[in-house]
Parts: sequence; C-alpha cells; structure tokens
Amino acid sequence: MFEGLSRARGGLRKAGLALALSTALVAGALSPMLAAAQETTLKFVSWQNDEPGVGGWWAGLIEEFKAQHPGVEVEWTKVERAAFADTMTTLFAGGSPPDIVHLASFEFQRFANEGWLEDLGPWFDKGGVSLDGWAGQQICELNGETVCVMMLYFGYIMAYNEAILNAEGLSAPTNYAELLEVARKTTKDLNGDGIIDQYGLHHPTKVGGGQYVTEMLNYVLDAGGRWTNAEGQVTIDTPEVIEGLTRWKTIVTEGLMPRDLSSGETRQLLADGKIAVGLDGPWLVPILANGAASDDVKIVADPLSPPVGGSSNVLGMSKDISDEHKALVWDFIQLAMSDDFQSSYATLAASPAPSPRADITEATAVTPEFGLLVEGAQAASAEGIDRIPAGLEIQYNEFAKMVMEESQRMIIEDLDPAAVAATMQALAEDLQNQ
Amino acid sequence: MSRLPLLDLARPSRRHWLGYLLLAPAVVLIALIIIYPLIVSFDISFQKVDIVRLDRRAPFTLANYQQLFGSAEFWMSCWVTLKLVVVVTACCVALGLATALLVNNRFRGRTVARLLVALPWAVPEIIAVVIFAWIFDSSFGLMNWLFFRLGLINETINWFSDPNAAFVAVVVTMVWKGYPFVSIMALAGLQSIPEDYYNAARVDGANAWNRFTNITIPSLMPVLGVTMVLVLLWVFRDFSIINVMTGGGPLKSTQTLSIMTYEHAFGFFKMGYASAVGVVTLIFCVLASLLMIGRKADGIY
Repeated sequence: MFEGLSRARGGLRKAGLALALSTALVAGALSPMLAAAQETTLKFVSWQNDEPGVGGWWAGLIEEFKAQHPGVEVEWTKVERAAFADTMTTLFAGGSPPDIVHLASFEFQRFANEGWLEDLGPWFDKGGVSLDGWAGQQICELNGETVCVMMLYFGYIMAYNEAILNAEGLSAPTNYAELLEVARKTTKDLNGDGIIDQYGLHHPTKVGGGQYVTEMLNYVLDAGGRWTNAEGQVTIDTPEVIEGLTRWKTIVTEGLMPRDLSSGETRQLLADGKIAVGLDGPWLVPILANGAASDDVKIVADPLSPPVGGSSNVLGMSKDISDEHKALVWDFIQLAMSDDFQSSYATLAASPAPSPRADITEATAVTPEFGLLVEGAQAASAEGIDRIPAGLEIQYNEFAKMVMEESQRMIIEDLDPAAVAATMQALAEDLQNQ
Repeated sequence: MSRLPLLDLARPSRRHWLGYLLLAPAVVLIALIIIYPLIVSFDISFQKVDIVRLDRRAPFTLANYQQLFGSAEFWMSCWVTLKLVVVVTACCVALGLATALLVNNRFRGRTVARLLVALPWAVPEIIAVVIFAWIFDSSFGLMNWLFFRLGLINETINWFSDPNAAFVAVVVTMVWKGYPFVSIMALAGLQSIPEDYYNAARVDGANAWNRFTNITIPSLMPVLGVTMVLVLLWVFRDFSIINVMTGGGPLKSTQTLSIMTYEHAFGFFKMGYASAVGVVTLIFCVLASLLMIGRKADGIY
C-alpha cells in the first residue's frame, strides 16, 4: 500500500512539475505578445536630453504624448552631439532607425537623400496643419518633399560688457567700423606680463568647419556677400565676399579674439568678463546670466546687418517603420508643433519658437531680452539668411572644411583675400559638380 | 562510448580536439566582431557609395583606389602618419628606456619614482588630452606662460593654428601618454638580466657605456622589439588625441590616416572612399608589424 501511495505521490509530483513547466513555457511565450499588445515603443534618439531648458521641454513633450497615448512608450536615448551623425548613420544603415528622427539642420539632407526620411507633405495635407509663417521651414523642403519640421530658426544678437567698454570710453558698437574699434581698444594685457588676458571679440574656432564658417559669415554678410545666391550658384569670388574675408583676416591676424577655443569656452569667457563683445545666438542668454560678469553684460541687437541666422535642428519621421508607428510619430510631431508646446518652447528654451502662433508673453517675462532674440531671428529670416548655403546642402560639411582650411591658409601664409576667394570659388564649384 | 567513437577526446590522437572545441567560441566571436567587419569594409572599398546600406550593393569599381592614390591629401596623411610614428616611437623608446634605467637603480624613494613614471599610463587618454589641450592653449595656456617667464618667446605661440606648433603639441602629448608603457616593459626586461653578466664585464674592465651597449641593450632587444611594435601600432591607429586637440589641422598638418578615414566616413559620409583609406591603413599596419616582429631576437648577439 505504501509502495502504491509512494508511486501515486511520484506521479502527482511529476504531473505537477509538468504543469508548472508547461505553464511557465506558455507564459514565457505569450508574455512578449501580451506586452506587445499592451505597449508600443517609439525610439527617439537626441543629443538635447540634458541641455538646460530645451531638455526639459522635450521631457515635457514626451510626458504629454504618453499621457495622450496610454500604452505607448517613448524610448528617449541620448547620444553625444560629437558622435550623433555616426550613430544615426549606423542605426539607419543597420536597418534599425529611430521612429522619431531628430537631426541637426546641416546633416538631415544626407539622410533625406538616402530616402530614409518620410515625406511629411501628405501628412500635413491630411492633418490640415498649416506651415504658413513657420520660421526656416523652407530648408526642410528637399527634392520636392517636406522631409522634416524645423524646430529652431535663430538670429544672432550682440552681448557686450558695459564695464569693459566704459573703461575705454566706448559705447556699444552699431556697425562694423565701431565693432573693430571696440575690439582693438579692449584687447589688452591687463597685468603687464606680455600676455593678452582680455580680448575684444568672441569667435570660437576650434569646434570644426561648420562653426568656423559661421563665425566668418558675420563679416561676409555685413559686407553684403553670400557663399551662394538664391539659385545655388557659388558667389565667393565677388567683391563683397572678398571684403568679408579681408575683415576676418584683420580680426584674426590682429589677435582681437582668443584663438582655438571651443564655443563653450569663449561663451564662458564672455560671461566671466574676459571678452568685451560677443556675436552669438539665443543660447548665449542663459550662459551670460550665470557668469561672473552677469551684471555688466548687456544684450542688444546685432550691429552687423543682416545678422547671422539659420536653422538649428529638425524633427522628422523614419520611412522604414510600420504604419502604426508612423501614425504615432505624426501625433508626436503635431504635439511638438502645437501652440501650447511652441509657447512653452519659447519659455523653457529661451529661444524664438518657429511657430508664428507661439505666445511669447511668458517667455518675455522670464527672459527680458526675448524681444531682441525674436527681432534677431526675424531680421535674419527677412533676408533669407541661413548658415547652410543654398545649393551646397548635401556637401555642407566638405564645403565648411574647405572654407576653414583656405581661410587658415590665408592667415598662416598671409595670402591676398581675393586670391583665396578665387581658390574657394573653384573648390566650391568642384564640390557642387561631384 | 562505443556508439560515438569520434567523440572520444581521451584518445591521444584526438586530445587536441578538445583544445579546438574550447577555442571555438572565442574564434567565432572574434570572427564576428573583427573578421566580418574587415571583410565588409574591404568589400565596400570597391563600391562607389556615400552612405553604406547592407541591403544593397553598388557595382564593383576601383574608383575609390584610383581617387585615393591620385589624392594629394592621402599622400600628405601618409607623410604625417610616418612622421608621427617615427618621432613618437623614437621619443617613447628613448624616454621609456631612460626612465626604466633610472628607476632600476637602488635609491631612496624608488617606489615613488616608479609610480610617477607609470602614472601617465594610468591616466585615461581623454583626460590626458584635455589637460594638454589646456596646457597648449594659445591664449590662456600654461606653456605660453612658461615660455614667456623663461624669456624663450616674445609673443604667444598659436599652438593649434600653426602647422609646426600643432605637430609638436600632438607629439608631446602622445609621448607623455606612451612612454610609461615602454618604461614598464623595459623595467621588467632589465630585472630579468642576470647580474652575473655585469660582474663578468666589470672583471673584464668594461665601463658603464660598454656594459650598456654590450649587455643591457642586447638583452633588452626581445622586449624592446615587441614593445616598439605595440607603440608603433598605437601611434598608427590613435585617433582621440589628435581628434580632440587639433582635429587633424591646421592645414592637415596633423591629419593621420586614422583621422582621414574618420572624416571621410562620418564627416563627409563617403563610406566607400573611407573604406579604401582604411584598407590601405590596415595593409601599412600589417607590413610594419611584420617588419618589426620578423626580426630574430637572437640575431643581435
């Protein structure tokens, strides 16, 4: 009897184990399916996650999107700006692109050219979303398609240290000649050790070709020059661009700015009272507010006309994703473009929102200089200014590197700006014809 | 066992099979991580493509190599790489050997001295680069201030805007980061030389220089040979120091083949051309390694 009971217990144990195992197997097999049914995940890769102001805006946008779409998760991953293009290229080329595509305005063209970005035109038509007056949106029109939505179009402003200028009996410059005079008089060796420790101008030149060319563009634009005309033809060998190159050469060779520093370093020097004048975008404002010389630094309109302006970053949609994901990404883009979020963008990012319907009342209350930032963007937009020259969008990185190197050669070898402009013209045309 | 005689790994003739079996996972992993990308890169170098897509293949072409060998930029990068490899390797070996000889002697504080010699090796490369970027900063850096104080210069040197100065700044940083490795290896080699050799040489009347050239150097050559290959390959492929300090500029004066590869791949998105640069760089590295490793260690006696 005991033997029979023991056998029965053994059978029961085996049956129990078999049941538990099969339950676990079935549960294991079903759980991803159940999870998939309950939760859809959109991949979103950005470099702005931790950026003061704008990072908070993205976080708020994601939270609101998730609240409006229960069961939808947004996997928001940060990739450093320096490695961003590499990472995005690898993701797209490897067949696992992010659903929500965030790119800088000087790099999205390559991705669009590969056919990786969805044409948003039909989505705008279907959703009845108006892009009238949306700053910088024309840059997202590529080969007849709307491949992205512009997220920031900015114009430069000028920050100057009132105490430094007052000490030299100077006032805020209102044109290039005055700016040069201010730069010359405020570039000084303050402690007599033979080393300059206060500079007149802020021009970061270490970051790379794009930054270098943007700094030069201040003087090229004020001289009436453009790298290319509206039709995309290269116009570097014009007298206006040659004048711009001459001004750049003057400023660099006279040592009126610290050499080979990154934008972060020069902005901090300006904020700390080591640089007298800075021409820069809206992102300068929060940095200056936290600097050692915050009480002395004032912000006014850019004395150079038209000011440097341009597109910064864009939002788009991957082409190679499911229709369900596309619909969700479109909702995300629409939410980012909504009046509420455009208004909060102005407030949190302290930058002019691209939407003409953005309410900037709160932004103006938080940032007193906000009106100047808007005026700067409008002044640049009115002249159709963009850092990325028309007709060289795809080759922009090569173009920027070429202009930087030829400018460096002009300074190092003391070359005639007219000859340098001729060389640049030929090389830029070669790039266009590749 | 009798049903599966092939799996009898205990048989003396099949004992080595176990070794292969144990190695197999590592070999497969290496093949996936290293060999496969190399094959893909080699394949891409024969396609005229901008951004690579693994789901499509462009037609076979030699255009990338034709463009490469006809490009002044490529030959300039080869020259810069060669200069950097020779100068940095020579300086690292000289400095590493000198410091190893120094800390091989018995003196008070030798442990601290050994620690200090090895310290740069322990500092992460990116931190070393940031420190040296500040030291060589043209406007507010330590080096210009020091040179001014010493009366060596009358005006500041634009370290990263002058081609020669930029090359020197990169060399100094690489030597600082690379010499401790040579020092550590040479120290290990020095400690393995029997003291009897020196005693016998002293009896024969050899002076310090004779002992150094006839005992120390020959005994160290096997170690130094391998170390030099490793340093050479490190300089050849190092990317972060140059990229952070100069980005290859000014006027490509510090643009090595690694920097050129990266720039064309991820700056200009010309993957086909960049792969061709990478393949040629790989061939140079293999040739350099063969030349160095192929030397017989005992041939120097």
